[in-house]
Amino acid sequence: MHNTTTVPCRHLPSLRLMPLSLLAALLLPVAASAAPDSESDVRDPAEVYRQVCAHCHAPDKAVGPEITMAFPEAAHEARGNYIRMTVRNGRAAMPAFRQAKISDPELEALIQALVRGDLAAGAANEE
Amino acid sequence: MSTTQRILPKGVSEADFDAALARFREILGADSVLTESDQLAPYTKIMMAGDDADYIPSAALLPTTTEQVQGIVRTCNEYKVPIWTISTGKNLGYGSAAPGETGQVMLDMHRMNRILDVDAEVYTALLEPGVTYQQLYDHIKEHDLKLWLDPPAPSAIAGPVGNTLDRGVGYTPYGEHFMFQCGMEVVLANGEVVRTGMGGIENSSSWQVFKWGYGPYIDGLFTQSNYGIVTKMGLWLMPEPPAYRPFLIQYQDPEDIEEIVDVLRPLRIAQIIPNAVVIVHTLWDAGTHVVRKHYYEGSDSIPREAIERIKADEGIGEWNVYAALYGTPEQIEVNWKIVEQAFGASGKAKIMYGEEAEKRGGGFEYRSALMKGDMNLQEFGLYNWRGGGGSMWFAPVSQAKGSETKDQTELAQRILGKYGFDYVAEYIVGWRDMHHVIDLLYNRQDPEETQRAHDCFAELIDEFAKRGYGLYRTNTEFMEQVAGTFGEPLREVHRTLKNALDPNGILSPGKSGIRS
Repeated sequence: MHNTTTVPCRHLPSLRLMPLSLLAALLLPVAASAAPDSESDVRDPAEVYRQVCAHCHAPDKAVGPEITMAFPEAAHEARGNYIRMTVRNGRAAMPAFRQAKISDPELEALIQALVRGDLAAGAANEE
Repeated sequence: MSTTQRILPKGVSEADFDAALARFREILGADSVLTESDQLAPYTKIMMAGDDADYIPSAALLPTTTEQVQGIVRTCNEYKVPIWTISTGKNLGYGSAAPGETGQVMLDMHRMNRILDVDAEVYTALLEPGVTYQQLYDHIKEHDLKLWLDPPAPSAIAGPVGNTLDRGVGYTPYGEHFMFQCGMEVVLANGEVVRTGMGGIENSSSWQVFKWGYGPYIDGLFTQSNYGIVTKMGLWLMPEPPAYRPFLIQYQDPEDIEEIVDVLRPLRIAQIIPNAVVIVHTLWDAGTHVVRKHYYEGSDSIPREAIERIKADEGIGEWNVYAALYGTPEQIEVNWKIVEQAFGASGKAKIMYGEEAEKRGGGFEYRSALMKGDMNLQEFGLYNWRGGGGSMWFAPVSQAKGSETKDQTELAQRILGKYGFDYVAEYIVGWRDMHHVIDLLYNRQDPEETQRAHDCFAELIDEFAKRGYGLYRTNTEFMEQVAGTFGEPLREVHRTLKNALDPNGILSPGKSGIRS
């Protein structure tokens, strides 16, 4: 049984602008599906957090500090700047995460979700 | 007016570099050519004891197709621009996502992240370099495939292609990753594409099942090397076994390492214990979840008295063997009896599994996850042991013989002690060999300690080499020194191949000490 996919390749260039040679490259021997559109390719904050952050920052892991607690609205901008700087530059043991790993739109949405406390344990149940 | 000097690739004029960047933008689109300092910042974070100024890229390129990679290398040849290739960029403690030297252009393959094929009948996959273990794991779960992965400790955020190409290891029976690689697509420095193994045959159905192809086998040339850029790689996946029993064996005396290895070796070679077993020292087993200063505040090497307190308080042995049995329940029962008999003979071992092992204070939970290919980064709790973000993996190879293991342990402890660092180590047991992996942890915020860590690592390399012990892998700061320990004849072969395949030296100059 073959199981074939093109995955969350969220950065594929627009087909409209793609040279024929590049289009040919997508038609691989294994059936590749059409390139997803850019809107749906941006992972939502919970998914980015699950895939990248939660392995170290989850309370039961304690490899990194807890980061999902809500901040007062007045501190959102400052906290957001701190998260952005830490993600892009790293800090001590925290690795740096580049655009290719977490895109700018994904990072901005993640920051908003974090400062609002959307990703805190139990947050979904409170809605 | 800004007085900041622009970072340029070595030997490349500003005009030529601008022309190359313009060409890169034509090939990739402007958004995939990064030149601003805030865009390049993530490519400068290192954990090894090198000077930050030595690891700053001049630009980063983010291709999504093999054809784009071909266009990039052709442009690099024209303008003599050197590129340093990374995939997921999470080779933490080995160089991370930073270039090999300042001025190189990063070729960041992370956006080439398609899972091209997963075959659940012959248990194979074909992947692009940007695919992470988490992505492949999610794919397998989503499609309810009965397959297991073999992630290394950074698991979720790292990827199978990059880890295999650096000859990394995991913890299941498929732990020696390069052994389970099958078929590559490689962009050569001249822009040509070659498929290895059976991949050269049009419409071959055996590219991912038969490694050797016809004629000289060349896949190894593209591991730990700079002879080409791998754009697709096949690997073998492990079928999910009907039953799985992770277990823990603890020994309490430092000298017991000799017995452990000698008892373990025949069980490993006979495949009674089929996985990449780890023999973990106290400080590693504690360091994944305990902070050093809780037991010792001194800046010198942690004393024996503190190690004994950790063992007593945390329920950890001097040596902690994590291994697993796989197969049917009946097979596991038979093999478990063999394991109990072998390790029980001397009366020194405490052998346990299930609830009893879970109650011990070490890493049984996360080790059990890794030995069945689940995503888990608990191991990086080690970075909190000393703090400060400094980490270098010193990883010499040894035979799986107790006498040799004892010699390596004592030598490492002596040198680390001389420089005031802790022996935070484990042995990863192959069939006949072992990787003796030591995490040289230090405070990278402290320049004096960083220099000390650098000197310590250099001495470890030299002193181990004098006794005939070589490293299986190293970080970018020490690649030249380690290459030197393997002798000039081998280096000359590496150089000859480099000159033939990449005469302009555009691909990852300095990787494994190899340059044109």
